[in-house]
Amino acid sequence: MTKTPSALSAPRATVPVAIVLLVLLPLILMPLSAIFIFAFRGGADDFVRALSSRDAQFALRFSLLIAFATAAINAVFGTYTAYVLSRYRFRGKQPLGIVVNLPVAIPTVVVGTSLLLLWGPIGLLGRVLSPLGLQPMFAPAGVLLAHLFVTFPYMLGAVKPVLDEIEGTYEEAAYTIGASRWQAFRWVILPALKGGLFSGALLTFAHSLGEFGATVLVSGNLRLRTQTAPLYIFAQFEAGNVAAANAVAAVLATLSFVIFFFLLRYTERRGR
Amino acid sequence: MSIALENVTKRYAGLVTVDGVTLEVEKGELFVLLGASGSGKSTVLRLIAGLIPPDDGVIRLDGKDLTHVRVQDRGVGFVFQNYSIFRHMTVAENIEFGLRIRGVRRSERAARRDELLDIVGLGGLGGRYENQMSGGQLQRVALARALAYKPNVLLLDEPFGALDVKIRAQLRQSLKDIQRSLGVTTILVTHDQEEAFELGMRIGVMDRGRLLEVGTPSNLYARPRSLYAAQFLGGGTVLVGQCTRDQVRLGPLTLPIPAEVPHEEGDRVRILIRPEQVSLVAAEPSPQTASLGRGEIVENNFSGPLRRLRVRLPPLPGVRQLMPAPAFGEEGVLLEATIPAHLDAPGPNPWVVLESWHILRQPTPRLLVCDEGEGIAPALEIARPLVVSLDAVATVLGVASDARRIDALRAALAERAAAAGLEAPAVRVRRGDPVTEIVSEQREGPYDFVVIGAGEVESRRGRREPPRLGEVLAGRIRTPLLLARGRPRRIEKILICTAVGEPGKSDIRAGGWLARRLGAGVTLLHVVRPGQTPLPMVPIHLERGVATLRELGVAGTHCMRTAESPVEGILGLLRESPHDLVVVGASAGGERITRQVLRQAGCSVLVVPLGSW
Repeated sequence: MTKTPSALSAPRATVPVAIVLLVLLPLILMPLSAIFIFAFRGGADDFVRALSSRDAQFALRFSLLIAFATAAINAVFGTYTAYVLSRYRFRGKQPLGIVVNLPVAIPTVVVGTSLLLLWGPIGLLGRVLSPLGLQPMFAPAGVLLAHLFVTFPYMLGAVKPVLDEIEGTYEEAAYTIGASRWQAFRWVILPALKGGLFSGALLTFAHSLGEFGATVLVSGNLRLRTQTAPLYIFAQFEAGNVAAANAVAAVLATLSFVIFFFLLRYTERRGR
Repeated sequence: MSIALENVTKRYAGLVTVDGVTLEVEKGELFVLLGASGSGKSTVLRLIAGLIPPDDGVIRLDGKDLTHVRVQDRGVGFVFQNYSIFRHMTVAENIEFGLRIRGVRRSERAARRDELLDIVGLGGLGGRYENQMSGGQLQRVALARALAYKPNVLLLDEPFGALDVKIRAQLRQSLKDIQRSLGVTTILVTHDQEEAFELGMRIGVMDRGRLLEVGTPSNLYARPRSLYAAQFLGGGTVLVGQCTRDQVRLGPLTLPIPAEVPHEEGDRVRILIRPEQVSLVAAEPSPQTASLGRGEIVENNFSGPLRRLRVRLPPLPGVRQLMPAPAFGEEGVLLEATIPAHLDAPGPNPWVVLESWHILRQPTPRLLVCDEGEGIAPALEIARPLVVSLDAVATVLGVASDARRIDALRAALAERAAAAGLEAPAVRVRRGDPVTEIVSEQREGPYDFVVIGAGEVESRRGRREPPRLGEVLAGRIRTPLLLARGRPRRIEKILICTAVGEPGKSDIRAGGWLARRLGAGVTLLHVVRPGQTPLPMVPIHLERGVATLRELGVAGTHCMRTAESPVEGILGLLRESPHDLVVVGASAGGERITRQVLRQAGCSVLVVPLGSW
């Protein structure tokens, strides 16, 4: 398609672009570059040393593990919820649709508090579980719970629109051909959801990697046990250990860039 | 395999979408279900496939009851209008899907897939994806996919609806060839008359959930039974004439009524004239031909091979037009005609000659019987003798105030109908306000009479309970409304209160029609105020009324009474000589009369709206 000349593509874009850049520079671009500048100020050796400390290693690995687990579990739950919301008609469907999207709107600190009030030693369920030796709070399980809660809507938001777009006759065609409900889902619906699942999982992963507010409350910030990378950065900063904090921050930032790059590539391909 | 549906009914949210459909499709047949959108034809297909369960009735394949068998186990091939080709699979994988599910070996699958690709004319395109194919090709893939596992029956839901005319014609031919060569029992759903004619060995015409008639294309076209089928398949002109001595009078013509069309003296008979059955000639035709006289060409449209004309004839006495629907206030008869396009119309005022025609069946009268589901049931009780003597079909309607009561009400209605002796009537339940729902049901449905209980006559110190529902309905129902009161006995004597002039004709006709079928006698009553001399036409009008009744084969007498008001007159006559049914017109004054007669007389009342009969 040839471009139609219009006022929007007029050549005098210099000034507006400059204004945007001027705004973005102190807001986004400069802080981001500051991380890398500080991380490498002591040279590559310092950077590697800071990263290879036991605490930093644990924090990064733990964060990645939790992020993978969160993405995997929410991929299943989120897809199933999206399927139910998109395919069935039932009473209370609308309220349920709101509830499952609620975590995006709630401050993460509130999520952390609510989890503590439920699972904590004096919480509603925790009070019963605690004597049995089950204590999810201040343990890796608690971190996972918090992350599942906070990132739940991302998977749903990525998968449901795709599901809504697939006509009902698509599955019905599979049924008449002889496929069971599961077979129809596995061979007909799931492949069509691939893209949505991919972007949903990336989003979930990215959010889990950076989650702070809920994690800090439910984890107890125990080093070498429940300390995620963001918590590690925070703790090191507090202790005045700026170099250590920066090294991990740089790794997190890079990971986020990579994820973002993939997401962008993917959405661009879909858009075309 | 043969497909049989027995009395299959499906409701959605209290609305009947498929209404007691009974149908048998033979082994190897290509059957077409034809109907407008919303007629329930696609629902029938989905019921056969098992995609939705019926609320009532039985579905059999080859005699085996499949009503409760899962869709996966029915062995049907289904082709959807939107193709529903799996996007992430190649064409080949799409076709093989059913075989893969069934665990067929790879080599076997490949052989079958290649065979099918050849059958549908897509050889060599197996490696393509959905977005690399045209709509016509995709529908061929869908057909191949549905045929892959050798289904017992093939169901096609408007398969060509989304395609352009040329591709449609090609696909039709392919489908026909494939169906013939494989011999698979097939049902195709369409709203396209041409498609139905070209493909169907037999066609079933559906309207509002009911299967109206079934027949071969040529039979349905030449000899439809119902007005709807006549209209939907082919169009043309439908005129209504009056039956006298096995003939129907149509203006200057008398046409014989064939023996297979049951008819009675005075019946209104509907005559279908297809456009090609009308010939237009310049010179006055000989008296032996069936000429309707001279008309005027009011429309002349070129449509390819044919020229479509509309010819207006002057009004023919006693003839009413049903189709094409006459515009309001227009007089005369409008006939549709076609001539070959290369011929010119024979002048602006040709003679109109009927080459042939077809007489439609008398419609079965349909009664809408409203019942509350509790208390006394006068409407149901009066309905039973009516159904028997009118040879009518009854639908029992109940109105539930909220959704939770629907099922209970439906059960109660069925039970009460059975107790009243109505054999297997259709039961409908609507939700909402009774007046609104009954009025909507009457306007949406094909009913000829509405029957409703008018409540008890309760004498409390001379005051009577106002029967409100019936009163309110009397002004709104467009068909005759029978308000059944108390425990109606046999209807032997009918009192028709007649005004003078046009408004009084519908009530005499409707009352007379009922009287003939019920074997009842009729009294025609006209009330005169004291001191007022009756207008000179009153006796003539009454005489004519009696003559009309006589023509219908009904024994009628007439009388004039002097009273302060028509109501007084009616009540006075009823005191002297009891009648079982009072017939009143629902004209402006008639509504008041209706209300008072209902409140004060102990018998049932038939309210006949102006021009409804």
